[in-house]
Amino acid sequence: MMKHIIIISTLILLFWQLPLKAQEERGIEINGFARNYTGVLTGSENEFSIIQNTFNLSFEKKKPSVGFKVNPYLYHYFDRELELGLREAYLDLRFDNLDLRIGKQQIIYGKADGVFITDVVSPKDLREFLLPDFEEIRMGVTAVKANYYFGNNTIEAVWVPLFTPTQMPGDASIWKPEMPYPVMPSFDYSTSEIIPRLENSELFLRFSSMASKADFELVGGYFWADDPALHLTKQIDPVTMQLTGLTVRPDYHRLMMGGGSIGIPIGPIVLRSEGGYYSGKHFQTAALTVPDATIEKDYLHYMIGVDYTLAGIKLSTQFIQENILSYEEGILNDQLENTMTFLAKKDFLRERLWIELFAYTGLKHWDALIRPKISWLFADGFDIQVGANIFTGDEGRFGQYHENTMVYSKIKYSF
Amino acid sequence: MKTTQIFLLAAITLLMTTTQVNAQQTGHQIMQKVYSIPSGEDTEGNLTMTLTNNRGEQRIRTLKQYIKDDGQTEKKIMFFTAPADVRNTAFMNWSYSDGRSDDQWIYLPALKRTRRISSDGKNDSFMGSDFTYDDLGDRHPDQDSHQLLREETIGERECFVIESTPKEEDYIYSKTLTWVMKDNFIGLKREFYDDRGKLLKVLHIKAFDKIDGFWTILETEMYNVQKEHRTNMKFTEVQKNKGISDNKFTERSMTIGY
Repeated sequence: MMKHIIIISTLILLFWQLPLKAQEERGIEINGFARNYTGVLTGSENEFSIIQNTFNLSFEKKKPSVGFKVNPYLYHYFDRELELGLREAYLDLRFDNLDLRIGKQQIIYGKADGVFITDVVSPKDLREFLLPDFEEIRMGVTAVKANYYFGNNTIEAVWVPLFTPTQMPGDASIWKPEMPYPVMPSFDYSTSEIIPRLENSELFLRFSSMASKADFELVGGYFWADDPALHLTKQIDPVTMQLTGLTVRPDYHRLMMGGGSIGIPIGPIVLRSEGGYYSGKHFQTAALTVPDATIEKDYLHYMIGVDYTLAGIKLSTQFIQENILSYEEGILNDQLENTMTFLAKKDFLRERLWIELFAYTGLKHWDALIRPKISWLFADGFDIQVGANIFTGDEGRFGQYHENTMVYSKIKYSF
Repeated sequence: MKTTQIFLLAAITLLMTTTQVNAQQTGHQIMQKVYSIPSGEDTEGNLTMTLTNNRGEQRIRTLKQYIKDDGQTEKKIMFFTAPADVRNTAFMNWSYSDGRSDDQWIYLPALKRTRRISSDGKNDSFMGSDFTYDDLGDRHPDQDSHQLLREETIGERECFVIESTPKEEDYIYSKTLTWVMKDNFIGLKREFYDDRGKLLKVLHIKAFDKIDGFWTILETEMYNVQKEHRTNMKFTEVQKNKGISDNKFTERSMTIGY
């Protein structure tokens, strides 16, 4: 508790003391936001799904040849420990045609909205499923990033010395995914840590080009899967041959990925596409011939989407397919998993009022996450938002959370 | 007698037609001169945009912009500096003299991604203001038919008044009237009429000066007559022909910021 008080006091002191000195003398930009986010589950007893107070602060300095950014954040919950973290903290070095960024940073690839296909460098914070803003879902990674520029082309190389896995919801969380086990398993975490050493580094390479006819990027990576493969050990009663126990051993595996994305303007529409080919992805299987219930397969993940504006309404739709190659019976995932997204957004009152609807739909189970929201810009930088996260269906990626439909409000002041 | 009347009528008709043709040509020539005013190869400066609603409440947006024109392609990049919720957003537009559609991109700092957007929304409002993207661009005189209506004096400035009617059918305005100063061919005032022919907006140039040898508009205000709100745009720290690098108009620049 004392530690938290010291940290918060330091942040407040920094916030109040630095602006004058920093902005006037050192040219450091200070900005950020304070936000209250309150959500209520609409089912059963109107329980609060979240009450979160956030303070996000960013210190940034940009000079022609050097720069830095430090972005601490603070989440306060009514039912959890105070959470303090660094979203980003990096240094920039800029040369004629070369930029170097060293430190904790968010690195974003691809052109898909709301889905992660080649966007595999920054791991995800999925403790609140896909509901937080994407700025908050993507976690920073400690990395060295080098960008070399020629014309409107960029070659980017990223070295990530430390592996950071996806943050998954805790056992008590309403966002904990369904566990497809017949008995309550025990967990063996003995292999679930990647030792921080040089040979466990991750490497990524990207070529991107921005031109009149199209923008595209090609990406490749050699990295650890951010989600662990769950290796199972079954305990079977030798007399009854019944399953009596189950041990789950999460283990992270290496992956290789190659892919790309493209954005093409065609008259009034923009066509977007993105695809990634993964080699060595692990899937769970129920096949009796596989003792630890995991199997390695290549995997294709791609998206095609269209953006269009009609009568002032920004419209966007995407079709996403996940395809397990050389599929075998017993794999718990379907060979093909198809998802669509829809977005409609319009502003009123000279961009003071925004109405938006975003939806994911799983095409197998016809389950969906539907996210209507209204944002009212009460004053410059002061935004009041009300919305709902509606889960439909009973199974599937979204349907499994059908009891988590919620309404929420967000009040945010950006400075 | 009858022959004389017919001759006279024919002569008057011919005279009227000739005058009309001359006026039309003159109107086009004037608008061509407005379009051709040299603006320098590149421009940079700060823009402060004040949006005032019909209750007098004001919202202020500021941005820094860079423009470079090599005669074939005009490249423009804008970095939003305020308010805080749009700070570091960047917008880039490339427009082409050969009539191709513009290319546009936006960089959203929260998503850390540069995204191509359709340039079809020229009639959309620019940042919630009373200006559309089209109002801010240079509309080529060949896209309209122009007619010199009259000459008028605004304040102490003598102006031509030109009526411009769009050649395309689905243009946002049915016509515009432009008051062009005789001495420097800068448009001093413009009225925009909606698709029903009613006055929609009035643009006033409130300040202009020669910057680095080029006539430059420094303050302009658009008043929406029908909704009774207005947008004031003030340009400061304007510099011309400082040799802005092509690197300013790239993804790298959008990402790093101004």
